[in-house]
Amino acid sequence: MNTQDQHGRGRPNPVKGPRLRGPRLVAAGAAALALSAGLASPLGPASQRAEAKESGKVLTVAVAQSVDSLSPFLATRLVSTSMHRLTYEYLTNYDPGDARAVPGLATKWSSSPDKLTWTYTIRSDSRWSDGEQATAEDAAWTFNKMMTDDGAATANGSFVTNFRKVTAPSPTELVIELKKPQATMTALDVPIVPRHVWEKVTDFSEFNNDKSFPVVGNGPFVLTGYKADSYVRLKANKNFWRGAPKFDELVFRYYKDQDAAVAALRKGEVSFVAGSPSLTPAQAASLKGEKNIRVNDAPGRRFYALATNPGARSKDGERFGDGDPSLLDQRVRNALFLAVDRRTIIDKVFRGHAVEGEGYIPPRFSTYFWKPSASQELAYDPTKAARLLDEAGYRKNSDGKRVGKDGKPLDYRILCHATDPNDKAVGKYLQEWWGELGIGVKLNCLDNVTDPWLAGTYDLAFDGWSVNPDPDFVLSIHTCGALPATPEDTGATDNFICDKEYDELYARQLAEYDPAKRADIVKQMESRLYDLGYMNVMAYPNAVEAYRTDQIESITTMPRKAGNIYGQDGYWSWWSAVPADSGDSSGSGGSSGDGGSTGAVIGVVAGVVVLAGAGAFLAMRRRATADDRE
Amino acid sequence: MTTDATPPSTPPSPSPGIPPSPPPGTPPASPRAPKGGPRALALQRRRHSAARFWKQYRTHRAGLLGLAALAFFALAALTAPLTVGSDVAGVTSAPGRPLESPSGEFPLGTDQFGRDLLGLVVWGSRVSLLVGLLAAVLSVAIGALVGITAGHFRGAYATVMMRITDWFLVMPALVLAVALATVMSRSLGTIVLAIGVTSWPTTARLVRAQTLAVEARPYIERAKALGGGHWHIMSRHVLPNVMPLVLAQTTLMISSSVLAEATLAFLGLGDPTVVSWGGLLQDAREAGAVSSGDWWYLVPPGIAIALVALAFTLCGRAVESVLNPRLGVAR
Repeated sequence: MNTQDQHGRGRPNPVKGPRLRGPRLVAAGAAALALSAGLASPLGPASQRAEAKESGKVLTVAVAQSVDSLSPFLATRLVSTSMHRLTYEYLTNYDPGDARAVPGLATKWSSSPDKLTWTYTIRSDSRWSDGEQATAEDAAWTFNKMMTDDGAATANGSFVTNFRKVTAPSPTELVIELKKPQATMTALDVPIVPRHVWEKVTDFSEFNNDKSFPVVGNGPFVLTGYKADSYVRLKANKNFWRGAPKFDELVFRYYKDQDAAVAALRKGEVSFVAGSPSLTPAQAASLKGEKNIRVNDAPGRRFYALATNPGARSKDGERFGDGDPSLLDQRVRNALFLAVDRRTIIDKVFRGHAVEGEGYIPPRFSTYFWKPSASQELAYDPTKAARLLDEAGYRKNSDGKRVGKDGKPLDYRILCHATDPNDKAVGKYLQEWWGELGIGVKLNCLDNVTDPWLAGTYDLAFDGWSVNPDPDFVLSIHTCGALPATPEDTGATDNFICDKEYDELYARQLAEYDPAKRADIVKQMESRLYDLGYMNVMAYPNAVEAYRTDQIESITTMPRKAGNIYGQDGYWSWWSAVPADSGDSSGSGGSSGDGGSTGAVIGVVAGVVVLAGAGAFLAMRRRATADDRE
Repeated sequence: MTTDATPPSTPPSPSPGIPPSPPPGTPPASPRAPKGGPRALALQRRRHSAARFWKQYRTHRAGLLGLAALAFFALAALTAPLTVGSDVAGVTSAPGRPLESPSGEFPLGTDQFGRDLLGLVVWGSRVSLLVGLLAAVLSVAIGALVGITAGHFRGAYATVMMRITDWFLVMPALVLAVALATVMSRSLGTIVLAIGVTSWPTTARLVRAQTLAVEARPYIERAKALGGGHWHIMSRHVLPNVMPLVLAQTTLMISSSVLAEATLAFLGLGDPTVVSWGGLLQDAREAGAVSSGDWWYLVPPGIAIALVALAFTLCGRAVESVLNPRLGVAR
């Protein structure tokens, strides 16, 4: 089943990276560190800013996600793959307007009539930052390395599993021969690395590319410095073939506490805050009124779903995990989703910064967006949900709890991300909605959800993925082929879904080169997924991010009309950002922060007064008891 | 201050001092006891010492203030089901809009779900106080057990126990509690356990010192000579004598337990579906209330935590000074 996961996990998948696979570095204890980081940050940035000023215009971005690796062969998290977008060229890129494939390192491409041989013309005006010419030889070496070295295949290996042979007949020509047709040949998201540098690497599974700077690359920026959970620094590549970026330097600075990042934005210490995954409604609302700050609230590329455990299993047929058996009944799954009021979740939890969930792929990707027909739709209907549960044999007992035929009450554990406030908020609603149905709910909020997730020890889970312009990857993770080989292995699967009908459709869409027909098959897949009820999409959260207009004059969103800035499929935002002329951002930044935070000041003062009072009281008390003692 | 400031430190039951139990009808050596024998005598003496305790406690103004504050919070927590009701924590039936500032309808504003914050603070006191109490009791129970046994048995056992105590003492309690709360499932029990098992070493040290002092007294030797076993001595002679210390320690420990509970909940280690003061602060932080200046979401739970911790500390200090164990030991 080598065609199953064409798109590796190296795709920019902001949610999956932090939410599932990547063990969240925001571990339990780190929450405490986050606080101290928030407090300490005003000191660090000041000095960095001062030293940065000398070299020209600096764009500072507040980030929270830790870098997993700076090696393009290992990185899977959004922050790391974003760095690679900025520092390496890919064969193709996505147009910021409509996300169609546009030239990257390859200027044009064509396929043979049998669709099994693809020829890419490599541009001759791209140079590595150490002066060497970037050639087809580099690309061929990169792909061949991934095909032959398991360590190099860690992140993006699944792109090349269907490759038969990759050659570079001339410095400007790259030829890829396939075993089977592959619809994603213009969406190969593999950073091409310089052969003369990477040849020296011995162990690809260990090399993190973070020892010697600057890192040799040919993207719009060059990586010049990195300190784990502190900063990532990039310098503009003045010789970039598409044109040099307008900012001279790009710094990603770490703020583990989102409130601290927002405060830094108010003060003008950072130019841009993306939030993780986005700013909270309260933060967005308070920033909206600020002078010189613009809040970008645009349709996101994520979906936010409730996944049910279909009984975890591996490819060899072995079952593991302890998902509730009642969830194997489609009526039960549908009933659960029928009792979820998506409208309320949008209004109350996201406060309008999201779109009600329907099909699997967000409406932003209009080609592939699908929504259920009126008869198929599982709209909010608790009465129908109760009826379905009755039919499935789960009736209410005298205590109002639903019990199965074996007399066991329905109690579900929901796996939630302790670091995501939305999970907890939605969880509270689920607890009450399902409680009314007679179903018990226990929220199991963890910093690291990866372990129970991979072990299948959950009933339901909050799930979310970012969808790429080409949906192949997010579709591939629900195929049987993505299941782990054995219970000990890690598969590409999202939550162990394995459905024959879905798999057939998946194979058909992958081999379909006609875009309209392919889109039609993808929609059938979404319909199937919707009916199965294993992935219930509740919302499509917006990208809510903010930047200072007195530091950034303009910046490209993707899609251009209304889209996100951070985590794009490409380098468009940072490459296109234009610095504001004024330059003196500190003065205006300082004053604008006062208005909104008066309340906080009052609060802090009140707290201090109370504490001081307590202290004085204790001191008096101490003196009194001391007198008694003497 | 009178010298016999440790009234309960005399053995409450006189019986072990009287070897061959005389016939019950003839109360020995207690001319003032009206009737009922040693039991009534003990009861009477306890009543007296309680009255004496209260008389002295009354002289501590701060202690009274703390007691009044405690009574107020206890009342609010106990009557919460009547005054605000459990519906206040429900998100689906939230009455207001999200993050409304204080108004006539919602004196302390609303939270991110539109729930009444005043109600939530009152409702949250139940969990915060309960966890604080249970954790303090657990902590002091462990501490007293370790302290008394270590003080009584001495030798290798005591050395081992005290080294374990030292280990816990130098270990940063919060870090240990965070680690414990992380590996166990998120529930109130976990929080109680995490606080309880990390905060006992001080109590153990104090109790051991007092035990050593008590065991040096002549009547312990007498009891031993008369055949009193380990259990008898620890439970009948040592425990009653360290009890005042344990009580004072518990009162003081509650305030730090309430704070620890709030800290753990604030760090996101509590049960997210349970309303507590620390949990409210955590919710506020996650909703971005700090940077958006929604002070009414942060200040009330914070002040409530500070007040309760202060009240328990004031009471504990007053109790401590009334029962000052040092005077008892010096005697």
